[in-house]
Amino acid sequence: MSKQVPETIKKQKKRSFNSKEVKQEKNEKRMKLLKEIQEKAYKRAEKYEKEYLDQEQKLKELKQKALKEGSFYREPEPKLAFIIRIRGIVGVPPKPRKILQLLRLRRIYSGVFIRLNKSSLRMLHFIDPYVTWGYPDVETVRALIYKRGHARVNHQRKIIDSNEMIYDKLQKYDIVCMEDLVHEIYTVGKNFKHANSFLWAFKLKPPVGGFSTVKKSFVNKGEHGNREQYINTLVKKMI
Amino acid sequence: MTTQQLRPIVSVFPIKGKVKTIKQVPLPSVFSAPIRPDVVRFVHTNMAKNNRQAHAVSTTAGEQTSATSWGTGRAVARIPRVKGSGTGRSGQAAFGNMCRGGRMYAPKKVWRKWHRKINTNQKRYAVCSAIAATAVTPLVMSRGHRVNKLPELPLVVSDQLQSLTKTRQAVKFLKFIGAYRDVEKVIRTKKTRVGQGKYRNRRHVLRKGPMVVYARNLGIKKAFRNIPGVETASVYTLNLLKLAPGSQMGRFIIWTESAFKLLEDIYGSWEKPSKFKSGFYLPRPVMVNTDVERIIKSDQVQTVLRNRRPRSRKYGKKIQRADPYEDMSVMVKLNPYYKTKLQKQKELEEKNKKERKEIVDKSRKEYEDWLYFSEEEEEEEEEEEEEGSDEDREIEVLSDEN
Repeated sequence: MSKQVPETIKKQKKRSFNSKEVKQEKNEKRMKLLKEIQEKAYKRAEKYEKEYLDQEQKLKELKQKALKEGSFYREPEPKLAFIIRIRGIVGVPPKPRKILQLLRLRRIYSGVFIRLNKSSLRMLHFIDPYVTWGYPDVETVRALIYKRGHARVNHQRKIIDSNEMIYDKLQKYDIVCMEDLVHEIYTVGKNFKHANSFLWAFKLKPPVGGFSTVKKSFVNKGEHGNREQYINTLVKKMI
Repeated sequence: MTTQQLRPIVSVFPIKGKVKTIKQVPLPSVFSAPIRPDVVRFVHTNMAKNNRQAHAVSTTAGEQTSATSWGTGRAVARIPRVKGSGTGRSGQAAFGNMCRGGRMYAPKKVWRKWHRKINTNQKRYAVCSAIAATAVTPLVMSRGHRVNKLPELPLVVSDQLQSLTKTRQAVKFLKFIGAYRDVEKVIRTKKTRVGQGKYRNRRHVLRKGPMVVYARNLGIKKAFRNIPGVETASVYTLNLLKLAPGSQMGRFIIWTESAFKLLEDIYGSWEKPSKFKSGFYLPRPVMVNTDVERIIKSDQVQTVLRNRRPRSRKYGKKIQRADPYEDMSVMVKLNPYYKTKLQKQKELEEKNKKERKEIVDKSRKEYEDWLYFSEEEEEEEEEEEEEGSDEDREIEVLSDEN
């Protein structure tokens, strides 16, 4: 005796956008897209590697040239900073509290990237006693995004587990893979704002080996404030 | 509710002989009225209040004393106390609802509102609902009537029933038609009333059996009068309290043919008003098609709906992944170029290593050559020391090194 399928279910299946055929089609499209993304990711990663090396090389050359001529080469001021909040939330005055909120540094050992300009430097000035910050290099940016990079997806914090995630959100800014994201952040490109806001604030661990004293500034053998390139070693201890 | 309505057919049965259809009549429109238990409940609860008799407590009860409070300072409560002495009653508390022999709290008055006015249309609505429910077998069964053996519901019999005069005939008819089981139930479950009604002339309690509705009483009333549980009613004056006893719809009704046909005139339809209730049309249901599932699944609705939003199961669950710096497969998924990069780095390292090695080897070789050379020269020097000065030789050696 053949199974009688009710008319309504037959119609539903035909109409349904979840039917087998539709699902298959969708799946194929998605697979194709994923492949494209990975190919793009490969090519772009290659390009960026070369770019970073060239940058380094260029910098060296300019310095050497200047030395030869007997003058100095003034390096361009850093565009990118990584800030880590190193004090807790108790007893923070309103102005620094608000600035920390604006910078998404809502808890201790949270970190964010920020582009450096006159306005942001002023903000950092106010929150100096509560944070330590510096100029990250490529490897630090990479490590942060790869190991501790979480995306803000649907108001949720989700670990970035594939390039598809990045593609979905940042495709319109021509950022399709991890290396794109790293590049955009590190070089503070046109779409730095979107790349940065795609990333949830980094939640770091307390540093291995500890801090000396957070109450003093870095310059005074403490920990807070601008520590320029030494942020890289700190991040390695906290990542 | 079209103008030309196809009405279903109901069979008319004889009152004796063989249980088979002798005629067919169309179902009156009342039976398609909306069945509204909420309306029936409301109307029933209010209608049931209308046969109440006033009762009250005596106006003077508990007040027939001249009690006065003793006031304070006497180590007793300040409640009014009966005056006088020489009897047990004196000094006892009086008047209060808390006092023994006092007046009750808020003594009942006869002018309490015993009866309720109900809007005529509501009353009619309820009756239409109740009549409609009598044709719905599940409702009749759930009310408790034994209707398994009936040939049909609604049960319509020939008008000869109206001419019955003897109870024996009536019982015979009920047995013939299969309705006697309901009567048997009533007889079986006759009990003494629980409570004080038993000595207030309401000793026994009976279930409700079938109700026989007629158009003309030609003896039928008296014939069915003595059968326990069975009630008769004229179709012109159907009582909601009998159609839905206890506001429970689905009384088992036996209609006579003319009574059944009269329902169309008495209650009218949606197009034609009632002939007996001026301006009354049958109540309209809120929904014509109550099969909501069917409506939702219909083509007309489904084609207009937007697609269901896909649940983003991609990001739904908490995604776990390993550290890309420890797990190569995760790293490659995120950065497909990584393996190539490592390779290139390795190659570069090896290249550098090789170059460095070459340079080191070269300089080592030069040093060893020089060393070897200098050893030879020293030997030569030693030989020539006896011969000549060393100064020139030393200078030569130095120039070689450069």
